Amino acid sequence: MRRFLIVFIALLAVSFGFELTPFAQTYVVTPWTDAVAHMSAALMRGFDGSITTSGNVIGSKASAFAVSIEAGCNGLEATLVLLAAIVAFPAPWKHRLRGLALGVLAVQALNIVRVASLFYLGQWNRDVFEWAHLYVWQALIMLDVLIVWVVWMRWMPRRGRDAGLAVPA
Amino acid sequence: MTSPLEADAGMRSASAERTTAVRLPAFILATLAWLVPAFAVWYFAAPIVVAPVVWLARIVALVGLHDTVQAIEQTGSIATFVTTLRAATSGARGVVIVDVNTLLYSFGMPLFAALTLAARETAWKRHLALGYVAMLPFVAWGVLAEFLKNVAITAGPAIASQAGFAPWQRETIAFAYQFGSLILPAVVPAVLWVALHGAFIARLHGRASTSAA
Repeated sequence: MRRFLIVFIALLAVSFGFELTPFAQTYVVTPWTDAVAHMSAALMRGFDGSITTSGNVIGSKASAFAVSIEAGCNGLEATLVLLAAIVAFPAPWKHRLRGLALGVLAVQALNIVRVASLFYLGQWNRDVFEWAHLYVWQALIMLDVLIVWVVWMRWMPRRGRDAGLAVPA
Repeated sequence: MTSPLEADAGMRSASAERTTAVRLPAFILATLAWLVPAFAVWYFAAPIVVAPVVWLARIVALVGLHDTVQAIEQTGSIATFVTTLRAATSGARGVVIVDVNTLLYSFGMPLFAALTLAARETAWKRHLALGYVAMLPFVAWGVLAEFLKNVAITAGPAIASQAGFAPWQRETIAFAYQFGSLILPAVVPAVLWVALHGAFIARLHGRASTSAA
């Protein structure tokens, strides 16, 4: 457990530090955030034809309401946490890569639900929007990461699972 | 009167806890159910829950920022930093005051509480207390980093020059703020919960735990 925590924290600090560099902001964070906005908008257009997007901004032609997807709302930090947790845990690389691919999909899927729900909550009630945005969804996304990580460990070959879980309670 | 949780805990022995597999969907549903009251308690009891965070911030400010911070006051969940910095507006007489919403950095507390209560381990009270105490420094980190970010970066050059931070210190503050606001509030409760519930997580895997106590 100690080794896992040390590697996890180190990976998280390094990957988050990299995320803040101008290079990563330009070539990773901005395109990622724009993609989240466009995917969320595509989902919402399925039942709301008034949705528009421009870069990281999602708007409604009907209500003139718009939200901007920013750091903390693009699911990138949650993805980094999942990445650090999966890589830090002793497992075959094949299993890690499979877990990362499916895990990132699961985290981003819930993040798109978060963006869509916040978009409509914001039009309905600003106080509820703030509460959901600042507190509730942050906790739910991290719960999602935790669940994905536990499910990933559950799928792990028995040998690696036992090695990784030999931890003091 | 014994609460249902205590009664349940009393019926199950520690050894049974270690050998019974746990169904993941049931655990997820229980966590989501516990999140509602946990958020309510955290929000309405915030003046008490975050008071130790403000005390910690005061100690750090007293030791490391006594040139900049005169006092830190608490009103509800807001920590107000009274600085020694002069307001930069022409004609203005007074000092700069910075309000920080401590809830922004402590929302992981209800998440930790919900996960701990959903795990239904016999030591849940000890885990809640340990988790709460362990989270306090990280919440204080976020609160202090937001204050420093405000005076060193956001407030503009006139205030920042009075604070006297070097460029590398401003970079460090920016990183500490981003890490303290985007990563720590959500990650710390999850990590603490994992660290305190190793045996439970083993049972979540659908196998009897044989890990060392």
